[in-house]
This record gives sequence, structure tokens and C-alpha cells, in this order.
Amino acid sequence: MMDPTLIAELEQALGPANVFSKPEELLLYVYDGSVEHGRPDCVVFVRTTGDVVAVARFSNQRGVPIVGRGAGTGLSGGALARDGGVQIVFSRMNRSLGIDFENQRAVVQPGVVNYELTRAVEHADLYYAPDPSSQKACTIGGNVAENAGGPHTLAYGVTTNHVLGLELVLPDGEVVRIGGKTPDTPGYDLTGLLVGSEGTLALITEITVKLLRKPEAVKTLLAVYDAVDDATETVAEITARGITPAACEMLDGWTLRAVEAYVHAGFPLDSAAVLLIEIEGLREATEAQALAVAEVCRANKAREVRVARDDRERELLWKGRKNAFGAVGRISPSYYVQDGVIPRSKLPATLRRVNEIGTKYGFEIGNIFHAGDGNLHPIILFDPRDREQYKRAASAAHEIMEWCVSLGGSITGEHGVGMEKSEMMPALFSPADLDAMKRIRDAFNPAGLLNPGKMFPLGKGCGETRVRPLPVGTSAGS
Amino acid sequence: MSALASAALQQIEKIVASANFVTDPTALAPYEVDGLRPTAVARPYSPEETAEIVRVAAAEKLAVIASGARTKLGMGAPPSQYDLALDLTRLRRVIAYDPADLTLSVEAGIRVADLQKVLGEQGQFLPFASPFAKSCTVGGVLASNATGPLRHSYGTARDFTLGMEFVDGSGTRTKSGGRVVKNVAGMDLHKLMIGSLGTLGVITSANFKTFPLPQASGTFVISYLRLAEALALRAALAASVLSPQVLDIVSPDAVPFLDSGSGPLPAERWSVIVAAGGDQRVVERHAADIEQMAAQTGADNFAALEEAARQGLWEAVRELPATLLATSKRVVFWKISSLPGSFATVISEVDRTARENSLRAATLIRAAGLVYAALWPTEVDPEDDPATMNRLQRAAAQLFARSADVGARAVIEWCPLELKRRISIWGPPGEDAALMRRVKKVFDPENILSPGRFVGGI
Repeated sequence: MMDPTLIAELEQALGPANVFSKPEELLLYVYDGSVEHGRPDCVVFVRTTGDVVAVARFSNQRGVPIVGRGAGTGLSGGALARDGGVQIVFSRMNRSLGIDFENQRAVVQPGVVNYELTRAVEHADLYYAPDPSSQKACTIGGNVAENAGGPHTLAYGVTTNHVLGLELVLPDGEVVRIGGKTPDTPGYDLTGLLVGSEGTLALITEITVKLLRKPEAVKTLLAVYDAVDDATETVAEITARGITPAACEMLDGWTLRAVEAYVHAGFPLDSAAVLLIEIEGLREATEAQALAVAEVCRANKAREVRVARDDRERELLWKGRKNAFGAVGRISPSYYVQDGVIPRSKLPATLRRVNEIGTKYGFEIGNIFHAGDGNLHPIILFDPRDREQYKRAASAAHEIMEWCVSLGGSITGEHGVGMEKSEMMPALFSPADLDAMKRIRDAFNPAGLLNPGKMFPLGKGCGETRVRPLPVGTSAGS
Repeated sequence: MSALASAALQQIEKIVASANFVTDPTALAPYEVDGLRPTAVARPYSPEETAEIVRVAAAEKLAVIASGARTKLGMGAPPSQYDLALDLTRLRRVIAYDPADLTLSVEAGIRVADLQKVLGEQGQFLPFASPFAKSCTVGGVLASNATGPLRHSYGTARDFTLGMEFVDGSGTRTKSGGRVVKNVAGMDLHKLMIGSLGTLGVITSANFKTFPLPQASGTFVISYLRLAEALALRAALAASVLSPQVLDIVSPDAVPFLDSGSGPLPAERWSVIVAAGGDQRVVERHAADIEQMAAQTGADNFAALEEAARQGLWEAVRELPATLLATSKRVVFWKISSLPGSFATVISEVDRTARENSLRAATLIRAAGLVYAALWPTEVDPEDDPATMNRLQRAAAQLFARSADVGARAVIEWCPLELKRRISIWGPPGEDAALMRRVKKVFDPENILSPGRFVGGI
């Protein structure tokens, strides 16, 4: 509970309607899309940089933590108030501040929903490339904080490749612009540092992004397999042959059956795996590449390669992919989505290993992932009311991550470290590496009041034995 | 040099062994930076040795400047101190290359050209294409964020560098990122190193995404009497579904410096150079569509180059900064970050500045958002003639101000030392200067790494 005089201070600065402090008002903000939780002492809604400055000054003067939040779709607990304090919600700070069609730039406030930006520019055949599965809900501010990805980042890069400049509010309330609309602004690439810093360096109040030109042609292929290994071998071969699809997604049999029951995308129920491969570009290029991809699929024993005939069919296939987590949510009390990365040539062995880990801990693990860049999202189904089961799910997850690290991979490809993976960071980074990152954090955020308890291990024991907070209800999808 | 500093140098000599420690003045000459000659050169063999050397240097506050092929030591402001040159060319191993994954990890001292050979054997490459391509090293390209024509489609090092290891100013080996193509674990410290001119750390290795070489490629030169028409082609290309790999515009003044041996570009013309890559049919489609756009925008020449001419022109465009620098010792070479919508204004401001100060100018537009401009005096007079330097100085002040007025950010990449002593080559400090100083302090608290060479006196 926060001191009522402090609440009154915030109400005075932002208006009473923009401050929540009653327990029932705070409930929604205890969760995000992950299995973690963290309870803020109050929630404030900001609309302008001035509002954010006021909250930063308040935090600085009163020594109260602040944790930024967009739509709350994050999957690593990045937006959760682990140590309480003020949850600063950007979803109402959602104006587009200017679209420059000639130069293919947009300047937006952090609360602008990812897909809304594309909608605002698509009449000019432009779009914003990063496309997390939650793109119809998630905000660009949240995407910037976590350096979000998505299926089409295989060809176009993740958020950091599309952000050129930011307006920051530092913890003491100072407003600073970094980067800009032009490339190669003089000095250190602070924008590159800030993107993906998970809200630990500054609050972001304005974002300048690149817009891309829509491709002339898109071809979406569905390759159907009777064995998971054949699907993963296909992906390895596509990569090795230097073909770069715009997206290359895999769903295993278990997942696609869950999806089919929900979305009716037309995934064959008796298959062991499907690949959803999208090729974009000039008409000539997509035709040639689609032929090459289909050939690789067939050479790797795809029993069927289907090409979406029209936009409707294409959208349906993608609806199946992007709603997969929602589909899983219908059949299990809760689930735990992983976000490991491995070298792409190691996909076949990795899927076998994930399967073994599932068997070892007694879980059915569904696999749906960005196969083209080796970014796995194994889904462990569990019942959070069963504490023992929850611990086993965490152990299975940990073992999958250890495998990824042992192959030279990573513990997160796009969801962020947040509070979920913070204890696993030492598996990737030496104490010196982590210390350098911490010193950067301290240089921006000296009192540690911005998003405390994220990214770095708290040293309270390793992920395997740490007893996680008990989640309640079903997690939202990404 | 104090007794303590001499003792420190002796310690460094022990770390690398005498054969790799040089104090002979003639051998030191190539390591000079802006007229400053170091006391010694050390050539470490490993990241461990590099870290040990920096630790000793930090303890005695010896200023260290790391280099590879030394092609870009002339960039940056004059160092405030320079005791030890760290030559990284023995760090030249390929640590890991997995063609099937299109990932690569290499030590910083490897030459880009040597690396491209290794990758080429697997039908792959790294899209660097920056000047001094025959000798420059990976570390030097990263530290200076040197780019080239391919940035139009492949972006810059920040877009395909997956991770890095560096030695910070305290001599601590530090890494960030990783070796897989998608990774958001931890802070992207390596992005800070790119373009930091050695002021934050000594880069010892880097991990990259590699790219398949296009099956086919085509290069087209479209020439115009007027800049406005050339820019109309740029706009038409940007509005089209084509995806050229290169889109550069060369000013008539720059044409004489692009004689690629296979016949120069048309004289007195603005030439747009477009390259397309991919499947043969993609290249043909580009050729057909661009020829049509050329006709619609009033081009008086469209040429699809043959292989030999294509290679020659590519090399000439890539090396243009180096060629211009070799033209005169008094070249002031600018990089002006600007949006396509301001290219015409920036070019006219460059020309006006040159005219008003009786300087010659040559410009190159890189459609991704850069204008390169070289300005230099043509008359023959002593190199350090104060009147000439006054003109260069006035031109610099004007061009900084005029760029800022049109929303562009200018820096001087290369210029005579005398001019560097008179002005800040980085232009007026931005509002982010204080944050940059905080970053510098984190990585180099003793201020021993390339001190004074960077933005805002860092």
C-alpha cells in the first residue's frame, strides 16, 4: 500500500481520474502475458511527455520505483512491478505525431498499437515491419523496451533495426532526444542501446521508426509432414541454400490440432508438423523462390505443399499461427511459453531433445516457432493450482534453455529477459559482462528506481530452485 | 615519459614478447595520429594479451589507440594524449564459421578482403563494401562504422553484427550479444562500440550474420543534366516495388574521380548508379522498369553495364572517399546525414559554401540518407597557408550551420590537421552529449582509450 499522501500527490499532478490505487483497480496490472506476477502500489495513466516528467520527478523525490507498461502482452514479466511502486501505463499516450511519407518515417507516442501504425500508412503502400503475434494489441513502446520480434523479422529484422530515434525521460525528469530521423547521427548509438533495455535505462516518450514499402507479391506455402524431423530438416536446408523467406514458421502436430479446433485454418489434423513459409518480393522473385522452397519441402518428404490461393486463404493460415497461444489457452488451465534460440542447423536435434525433456517431466510440450531463425517457442501445459506441477514445468523450461545455451544459442530471442529469465543470465554472460551492463544501467538509472529487479540475476538462487509466484488463471497469448 | 610510465611499457613488452613490441622511431611513424607519435607499439596475439596490456596502461594512465590496417586513423579529433599504439593485426583468426547457419565469429584484426575470400568459397559474403577495402580490418570498419554503397539494402554493421567481445578501458574482457541470428538477452553493448572510434573499448572479436551472394546482379547508370531529375528517379524507385541493392547519385564534379578504367561516367552529368541482385529474372525486371523510369524522368543516358565495367565502377564508387582524399592534402570530407526530401537543399548548400569560399566540391548522395561532400582549395600554395585555412574554417562553420538549418547532421570525417585544431569536426554538440559522457565513463573511467578523438571532446 502506498501512503495516501503520495497518492494525493500523483492525483494532483495527473488528475484523480488518471490514478488507480484501490486493490480491485490494481488487480489487472498484477499480470502480463507471462506466468509471472508483480503488484504495483498504484497505477497512473500518462498522455504527454510532461506527465511522464511529473511521474519521474515524483519517483526521484520519493524514492518510489516506476515500471512502464504498454498493453501488458509481454511474455517475460518485463512490465510487472516486481518491487511494487508506480505502474506508469502508456496505453493512452497513443498519438501518431507525424508520418513522413516521402522519407518513409513515422514519429509516434509509445502507446500507439503496433498494427495501428501499419493501418495508418497502408493506403500509401507502406507498413511497419516488426510484427509480434500480439501486434493488434501490443504497443510500439513495449516493442521498443523488449526489442520485440515476430514472424517476418526473419527477413526484415527485429524492432531495433527499424528504430532511428527516441525521446527519453531520465529518472530525474530530464528530457533528452537521441538519434533522429536521419541515419548515422553523430556520437554513440544510444538508440541501439536503449532498444531492448527493458525499461531499465529511461522512460521512452517518443519513437521515430522507418516504414517499409509493401512487396509486390506474397506467396504463402503450407508444407505438411508426417514426421517432425522432416520439417526441421527442411528448414535447415532452406537456410543452407541461402533462401531467405519473409517468414518460416513451424507448428507441430499437437499444436496444429489445438489451433485447428479453434481457428479452422485448414491444417491437416493427422499430420506430424506443418511449415508455414512466406515469400515476398517482386513477382518474378516470389515465383522462383516458391518453386525452390516447394522443391526442398518435397525432397524432405513433405506429403503435401499447398500454396494459398488468395488473401483470404493466406490470412486464415496466419490467423492459425498468430492465435496459436489463444488456442492452447482453451485446452489447458495455464501454459508456459519458452523463447529459446539455437543455430538453425540444430533444429532437428533440438526438437528431439525438447520431446525427451517433456517425457522426463511428464508434460506434453507443444512446439510452435519461428523456425527460420531458430527461435523456439515450446509450450508447456500445466495447472498452476498444482504447485508441484508448476515447479516441474519451471524445471523442464530451465532444461530446455540449458540445451539452447549449450548449442551456442540464447535464452530469449524476442520476449526479453524480464523477471522470468533474469536468473539464467549467468549461463550466457560472465560476471564481467553483467557488471558492464549493470554499470550502464546505473549510469542512466543511478537510484535503480526504473523497473527494478529485471534483466539481472537477483542472486536468490538459480531458476531451477527459485519458487515462482503462483500465477492465477490463464495467461494471455503473444 | 615518467619512470612509472617507462616501467609500465617494460611490463607491456613482457606481455607480448620483444618481437612484438616496437619503440624504434621509424617503425612508429606509421602509427602517428594527427602528428602525435606513440612511444611504443604492442602487437598482442590474443584477447587475453590485449586485456593485460590495457590493464597495465590503465594503471599508469597511458593513452592507447588501437588500430588494424591504419587506414582510418586520420578520422576523429586530434587525440589529447597518445602513448601506446595497439596493433591488432595478429588477432586475425576465424573463430567459427558455420555456412549452413549463415553465422560467423572472427577476431578483429582480420582483413575484410581476406574474410570475404573465406566466405566467397561458400557463396556468402559480409555486406561491408567500405573504402580502403583491400587492406581494412573488421575491427577498424566496426570502430569507425565505415559503410559503403551496400548499406542501401543491407543496412550498416549495427544491423548484421550479432555480438562482440571487447576490452574496456580498465582492461576487462566484456562481451554482449551472441552468435545466433535472433537474441535479446541483455543490453546491446556492441551497438555502442560500433562507430565509437576506439573510445569505449578495444574490439577483439565480433559475430556476424553472413549473406548469400546473389545469383545474378546488374548495375545500371542513368545520367541526367539536372539534379532534380536524378532525384525524381530516386523518388520513383522509392515509390516502386523494386528493391535495388545500391542507389547512389554522383555529382558532375565527382565524375572525374570515378574513372574506373573502363571509361568514365558521362561528363557534366548527375549519374544515378543502381545495382540489383538476386535471381536473373529479378535483375531483368529491374533493368526493364528502371529503363522506363529513366525515360519518364528525362534521363539522357541509360546504361546496363557489362561485368568488367560493373566491377570497375563498383570499386570506384566504394573507394571514392579514398580517391578524393588522395587528390589533395587539404580536402575536407563531410558526411551529412539527411533525409531524401532534403538532398537537393543540402547539395545546393554545399555548392553555395564552396562557391563563397572559392573551393572545389564533389558530392555523392547515398539514398539511404547520406550526402558525402568533399571541399578543397584548387590553387597551388603552401599547405599551411593561413589564408587558405581561414577559408576552410569559414566554410566549415557555414556548412555546419546550413546543414542544421535543413534538419541534417553534419560531421567532418577527414580534414587537414590545422583545421581540426581550429574547429570541432563533430559540429555543435547535441543534447545527448551528457549521456554520451556517462557512457564513456562507464567503459573508460581513466580516459585512456583514444582520448579526445570523439564527439564532445570524449
